[in-house]
Amino acid sequence: MSPPTAHESVFRAWLAEYGGIIAKVTRSYAHSVPEAEDLRQEILLQLWTSMPSFRQESSPSTWIYRVCLNTAMSWLRGDGRRRRRIEPRADLSEMPEPSASPADAAGSKDLLDQLYGAIHAMPEFDRALVLLTLDGFPYRDIADITGITENHVGVALTRARKRLAELLKGATHELE
Amino acid sequence: MNWSDLEYVWKRQAPPAGASADVDVLRRNFEASHRKTAAALAVRDYSEAAAGLLSSAVFAYTWWRLGRDGWPFAITIALILGVSAVFCRERIRSHRRRVGPAVSLLAKLDADIAELRHQRRLIFSITTWYLAPLAASWAVAVATLAVHSARHAPPGFFIDLMKNPATASFIIAYFLVCAPLCFWWAWRMNRTAVLERLDPRIEELEKLRRDLSISQ
Repeated sequence: MSPPTAHESVFRAWLAEYGGIIAKVTRSYAHSVPEAEDLRQEILLQLWTSMPSFRQESSPSTWIYRVCLNTAMSWLRGDGRRRRRIEPRADLSEMPEPSASPADAAGSKDLLDQLYGAIHAMPEFDRALVLLTLDGFPYRDIADITGITENHVGVALTRARKRLAELLKGATHELE
Repeated sequence: MNWSDLEYVWKRQAPPAGASADVDVLRRNFEASHRKTAAALAVRDYSEAAAGLLSSAVFAYTWWRLGRDGWPFAITIALILGVSAVFCRERIRSHRRRVGPAVSLLAKLDADIAELRHQRRLIFSITTWYLAPLAASWAVAVATLAVHSARHAPPGFFIDLMKNPATASFIIAYFLVCAPLCFWWAWRMNRTAVLERLDPRIEELEKLRRDLSISQ
């Protein structure tokens, strides 16, 4: 087996460090486990092929989010025919859960499933905004990733958060 | 529950284990897909170029065989090569204007809309740049051959030919039904592609763009 190239080494390091971004975007845009796997492969392929164009003008996480979201949104609307060919065999909540310590796993999982359910019901661009906000990106980075001006990120975010809150209303009641 | 609770749960998602193992599979997939894409593109490009060149060669040969009578074949060849040139120009343009996934979501959206609109314009004007030149080249070639044959055929040959009902029906059906039908079918197929596939996609993207403009 040939030794890993520099490209491959960086890619492995990125996957280890930022694999969570791919998992979150995949789960937010795909509707079933086979779809999620298909989208994940597509995202990995796009990251792999686009990596040489990374110029370190932004942080790797910002750049990776941009590639992931662009790929997911194109996949969502452009590859409808291919998506229809994928049989929905299992619900996304049955995906192997990446989360955390067993102590609060059950409660977190419920809330996380509800959160993903609400994100799924949102328009594709609002999903991107919600993902970026939940991951704590500042307005400047969100503006960089989405292309809307920094001044208006706040307006768009308020609208997206309001939608999310409405969608989570029922769930909130249950949780409280 | 408030926003902080959501952020807390969200950030507690750890990256899935074993992600690094994907690289080998990915490299294999990438190489396979790259080879497949390169082969498909080569077949498509070469077949289009070959079709144009081959028909031009056939017409050039016919022109050479006919001698001075065959000069209108120059028009036929020019029209066919013109259509091939449009294909080549579009291929180069599409390659140059392709936008990678590392641009902002808005830039990617604008590029996608622009590309779809261009494709729509191209398909809607297919009569101008594809069907009409091909129909004209076909008509010129047929007319040239007919004139040449009339000059060299024995007297009364065409009249005798048309007296035979089977031959006459075949000729009339070919020129008045089959050939126009083929052109109409090509036009119809492209128009249907615009209405059923391109237009809904453009509308979807423009709606998304409008939503973003409202938020801007």
